[in-house]
Amino acid sequence: MNTLVPNPSGKPSDTAVALRQRMSNNLAAIGQEQDEAAFADFYSYYAGRVKSFLMGKGMNEEISEELTQEIMLTVWRRAESYDPKKAAASTWLFTIARNRRIDYLRGNSRIEVELDDEMLDVETTDTDPQAQFVENAQVAKRLKRALEKLPQEQRQVMHLSYFRGQSHGAIAKWLDLPIGTVKSRIRLAMQSVRLSLEGEDQDLLNDYTEKS
Amino acid sequence: MTVSHHLTDITIQDYAAGTLSMPMETLVACHLTVCSQCRRRAEVADSIGGNLFDQAEPATVTVSAADLLARAAMAPDHAAPQTASVASPAQPGVPRPLSRLLPTGLEELDWRRIAPGIKRFNLSDQHRKYGAFQLLHLDPGVTLSAHSHNDRELTYLVQGSYSDEVGKFQVGDIADLDGHHHHQPVIDSEEPCIALIATHSPVRYSGFVGKIMQPFVGI
Ligand SMILES: [Zn+2]
Repeated sequence: MNTLVPNPSGKPSDTAVALRQRMSNNLAAIGQEQDEAAFADFYSYYAGRVKSFLMGKGMNEEISEELTQEIMLTVWRRAESYDPKKAAASTWLFTIARNRRIDYLRGNSRIEVELDDEMLDVETTDTDPQAQFVENAQVAKRLKRALEKLPQEQRQVMHLSYFRGQSHGAIAKWLDLPIGTVKSRIRLAMQSVRLSLEGEDQDLLNDYTEKS
Repeated sequence: MTVSHHLTDITIQDYAAGTLSMPMETLVACHLTVCSQCRRRAEVADSIGGNLFDQAEPATVTVSAADLLARAAMAPDHAAPQTASVASPAQPGVPRPLSRLLPTGLEELDWRRIAPGIKRFNLSDQHRKYGAFQLLHLDPGVTLSAHSHNDRELTYLVQGSYSDEVGKFQVGDIADLDGHHHHQPVIDSEEPCIALIATHSPVRYSGFVGKIMQPFVGI
């Protein structure tokens, strides 16, 4: 594990929660006050990670550097639209970087839900536990723990998929495994994460358990 | 809208990782538009990506934050408006990720008849690169031949309904078939059934009509 924030005495999950809070505050300060110090702190933690994410997909260093700067500028300009109640700062940044990478590699934008679509299925009640995913500190802790608890083989395929941008087929080739094995590892990882997030809500898990 | 057939974890994870083709992304985004349950699952999948970001080993960057901001102050905002400004005809019953791709309303599309009761509209001419990406227009009562799938195929129901061994598929449902499902869909709605389909690998065309319909019929 990395040492994340200047709090080496804390337990890893506490450290992660502190980092999370700090980065979320940074985004708020950038969004509201164009706070350059907050941006510098955000940048010093994440710019290198964004670049390493881009290089993972086989982009050369020069282009990765260029896109990293673009992505970090997007953070600077769009921080206002960040909603800390919806997602962690890292999740928000991940989606920006992922989408920019797709844009660059494919030449057209990622296709996403448009939140003003008339067809949008809006959650009907606030009490519906399925209605929305709120990535609060509690959830973040659980998520982190769940990912740490995954067997190494499951973590490996998740990393290759998210971070190396490899298709399931490419991962199978890379690891010299049948594609079915790769998919079942991903499926198990997703189920474990969901189980740990939803805890006792066994029905929900069963609903989503795949047949094959 | 009551949705009863959802995306699999595999597809949701693939979408979050950003490794799907544009046609597959379109199908996923259509279903996510009409299904808050799957949208929530997709958000969880995004947050896994965010978590991995925190754990990553950073690369060395050459520009400092201050330099970047100084440079930005002198340069215009490239990253400005994205696709949102493109006018798209709102089409009742069609989620935006699909309606953006349609030149006209559903019935006015330049449908090509490929078999009795079956018409097709191609959304991409790059089958060899991406696999099939098309709409099928199926008349009530049409029964498709029994077939099975060996590769990923996504079907989103835009209009009407069909039933097969897996169940009844209605508007908003997604058939996320991956593996060896053997099925024989029957169009059981009163109006024509319109399905949006994307397959993972290129369709192999041959003179046999069944091959042309392979993405849906997979004969
Ligand atoms: Zn769904």
